[in-house]
Amino acid sequence: MASSSTNEPAKQIILLTTSDNADMRVEREVAERSILIKNLLEDLGGESGEAIPIPNVNEAVMKKVLEWCEQHRKDPPASQDDDSDSRKKSTDIDEWDQKFMQVDQEMLFEIILAANYLDIKALLDVGCKTVANMIKGKSPDEIRKTFNIQNDFTPEEEDQIRRENEWAEDR
Amino acid sequence: MSSGMPPVPAKDDVKATWNYLEAGVEKIMTNLRGGMDMKTYMGLYTAIHNFCTAQKAVAGTSFSSHNRGGAHLLGEDLYQHLIDYLKSHLQGVQARSKDHVDEALLTFYIKEWNRYTTAGQYNNHLFRYLNRHWVKREMDEGKKNIYDIYTLHLVRWKEDMFVGTQENVMRSVLKLVEKQRNGETIEQSHIKSVVDSFVSLGLDESDSSKSTLDVYKEFFEKPFLEATGTYYENESKQFLAENSVVEYMKKAEARLQEEMERVPLYLLNEIMSPLMRCCESALITNHSQALREEFQILLDHDKQEDLGRMYKLLARIPEGLDPLRNRFETHVRKAGLAAVEKVAQECEAIEPKVYVEALLEVHTQYQDLVNRAFNGESEFVRSLDNACREFVNRNKICKSGSNKSPELLAKYTDTLLKKSTAKMTEEDDMEKLLTQIMTVFKYIEDKDVFQKFYSRMLAKRLVQTSSASDDAETSMISKLKEACGFEYTNKLQRMFQDMQISKDLNASYKEWCSSTMDTADLRAMVDSTYHILGTGFWPLNAPTTPFTPPQVIVKTYERFAMFYNNKHQGRKLSWLWQLCKGEMKANYCKVVGAKISPTFQVSTYQMAILLLFNDSDIVTYEEMVEGTKLGKETLDPSIGVFIKAKVLLAQPEGAKPEAGTTYKLNTGFKTKKTKVNLNIGIKSEQKQEVEDTHKTIEEDRKLLMQSAIVRIMKSRKKMKHQQLVSETIQQIKNRFMPRVPDIKKCIDILLEKEYLERLEGDELGYLA
Repeated sequence: MASSSTNEPAKQIILLTTSDNADMRVEREVAERSILIKNLLEDLGGESGEAIPIPNVNEAVMKKVLEWCEQHRKDPPASQDDDSDSRKKSTDIDEWDQKFMQVDQEMLFEIILAANYLDIKALLDVGCKTVANMIKGKSPDEIRKTFNIQNDFTPEEEDQIRRENEWAEDR
Repeated sequence: MSSGMPPVPAKDDVKATWNYLEAGVEKIMTNLRGGMDMKTYMGLYTAIHNFCTAQKAVAGTSFSSHNRGGAHLLGEDLYQHLIDYLKSHLQGVQARSKDHVDEALLTFYIKEWNRYTTAGQYNNHLFRYLNRHWVKREMDEGKKNIYDIYTLHLVRWKEDMFVGTQENVMRSVLKLVEKQRNGETIEQSHIKSVVDSFVSLGLDESDSSKSTLDVYKEFFEKPFLEATGTYYENESKQFLAENSVVEYMKKAEARLQEEMERVPLYLLNEIMSPLMRCCESALITNHSQALREEFQILLDHDKQEDLGRMYKLLARIPEGLDPLRNRFETHVRKAGLAAVEKVAQECEAIEPKVYVEALLEVHTQYQDLVNRAFNGESEFVRSLDNACREFVNRNKICKSGSNKSPELLAKYTDTLLKKSTAKMTEEDDMEKLLTQIMTVFKYIEDKDVFQKFYSRMLAKRLVQTSSASDDAETSMISKLKEACGFEYTNKLQRMFQDMQISKDLNASYKEWCSSTMDTADLRAMVDSTYHILGTGFWPLNAPTTPFTPPQVIVKTYERFAMFYNNKHQGRKLSWLWQLCKGEMKANYCKVVGAKISPTFQVSTYQMAILLLFNDSDIVTYEEMVEGTKLGKETLDPSIGVFIKAKVLLAQPEGAKPEAGTTYKLNTGFKTKKTKVNLNIGIKSEQKQEVEDTHKTIEEDRKLLMQSAIVRIMKSRKKMKHQQLVSETIQQIKNRFMPRVPDIKKCIDILLEKEYLERLEGDELGYLA
């Protein structure tokens, strides 16, 4: 398949156009944290100088995403569908990522959606872990409060669920 | 959105989304060369992403889906649409393939395959969001027949394209290969591409990320091997009908090589061993009978190169060589027997050297053949060994008994190790000759006979100091030890030790003499050396004749005996006069042209006779008998030597040695040598010795068998008769081949001596 990056200099700059029509310049290596962009560049060659349209991400979110990509540019590429148990289970997040994720809830979810769309598995994981940590140790009511969710269960339904999940209760 | 693509469709509209995607997929499939811009690429990806995420949100709000183990992912509609698209696309491709045959079909197939799989890779990337979520979930849940998008392309190709075309494709491939086998040049890369394509289509049902060779094996390998078999069956049949077997072997060898080289060119390495087996079956197994029939002819004409070729061919098929080995063995045996027959005809009493060399020549020739043509293969070595053992032990010379070979071999060894001939032999050559002797020795069954003769001759060499070199002697003994073990050479080594001890003993005796005797006594003493030989180790017999040693000798040895008894009390010294010898100076005459008197080298017996003439110039036969007490059979030949050498003159002239004959010292004796050897071996004695040796062998064998039987019974306590016999044979056969009746006789003797007892049935018991 087309793989033209091999003899390009490492500092190749590419152009992205966000959904709100902002142009962003970014090093190819950084952008290629996104498997979507990486595949696209490999398939199409990526030498035309043509801007890559990113129709599902706006400038603010993209900036944030690229900040993360910049920080993690040298990370070893995630081995194929690496769903090893240890990584799945652990909710540990490294210090930089924790700070990075200290954003308002709306931005947090935007980042998660963008990571999913752009296919950046590690970022998606960090985002989901952050949300998981927000849930951990909270009662259903606290969780509803945290995420601003209306309780749409009837009391009967709620009772039934509680009984079914009794075994998991912390005693 | 621009560039000919309609705008990204509404995210929850399946029909609109697919229509949008189909246009993009079609472009990728059919016009990828036309280029693709980033907007289109991103548009397609985003459309799929939006479709999958949008409806997920809708589904997520419904309570009923919550309880069914997590979120319900969407994408199935797109997957199904893609399948339908691929099906109809491939129908078109397959239809167009009908327009092509042979190489054109291959070109078409490969071109289409490459185009299709490249498009598949693109689609795999574009549909990655579907792969990551919907496909992954379906597969995690164990759904059958769901694949990632690229694999789906392969599955469709296999179902909708491969099934309908593979037969025609293979026919073209096989035609091409046949062309190449016929010597034409072909486009090999076509075949390689077809192989790669078939391999790619081997999908593992249980894990689509792995591939198997199933498709390749069934649709490529199988027909390929069938065609190969048929091709070579026909070719070989025809070739053999028109050419000789020797030519055919060259052809077969070349063909096998060619096929082996074909594999890395464009086939899968996997095929190597089945392909070779297929060719071997057609080229070798089918014609093995014809090959084997040629074997004897090649042997008869010593065609090493062709024999080697035949070996290599037949070695490739199972049990291909067995019949060859049998024929080879028979052939070598016949050659050996013929060689012996030839030398046996030349003279009545065969020279040991001639005989051994005849044996060696045959062995060398066929060992060489085994090494060169048969790769030194151990089974052929064994056949050679069997054949050699046969003709070494059972040939015309050995008609009287298998002990003739060991006797002649021992004699040949003796001549090699004796001073006279060995002088000529360089050390390296000597080692080579000894190794050759061991080659023959290895085949000798009656190793005990060799041992007997060898030890006797070694004894003689040592006593008469006629051995050429200690190094050669030691080398020979260590070779025998290596072949037969410590016990076999024990006595030989002890003989060597005795000689060394004797040397030291003589030195200390000289010291003792000079310290205990005055100079006058010393001057009158006969200069003497002694060999003290252990009775048990030396194969020497007591003198056969009575003998009164002359007074001067008696004095000499008594003095030594005194010295020896002081040193080793309780040992008995007996003198082997027949082996003793001495030198006497004939002061009554001079060497011709010199001032010194000649020295006679004589046996002790002769010395006793000559010493009689110190008292009188004329001695009668009766006086000789009286003075020496020698038996007639020893005395007469000893006198005969003197008469012949003209040291003594018989009176009357020519008279036989008997009562009434007188002998006069020939004072006019003439010689040009300072040393005259009169100690000449007597023929009859030698013959006697050979007979004696054979006789002792029989005795020794009985003892050997008995001791083996006792050893076996001691460890087993109880044993069946038959078992005991075969065990005994097992133990003894490296010394000689015992005959069953002899073993039975030995068992009877042991029963009589109450070492063994008869138990119930035919069991025997050991009595401590």
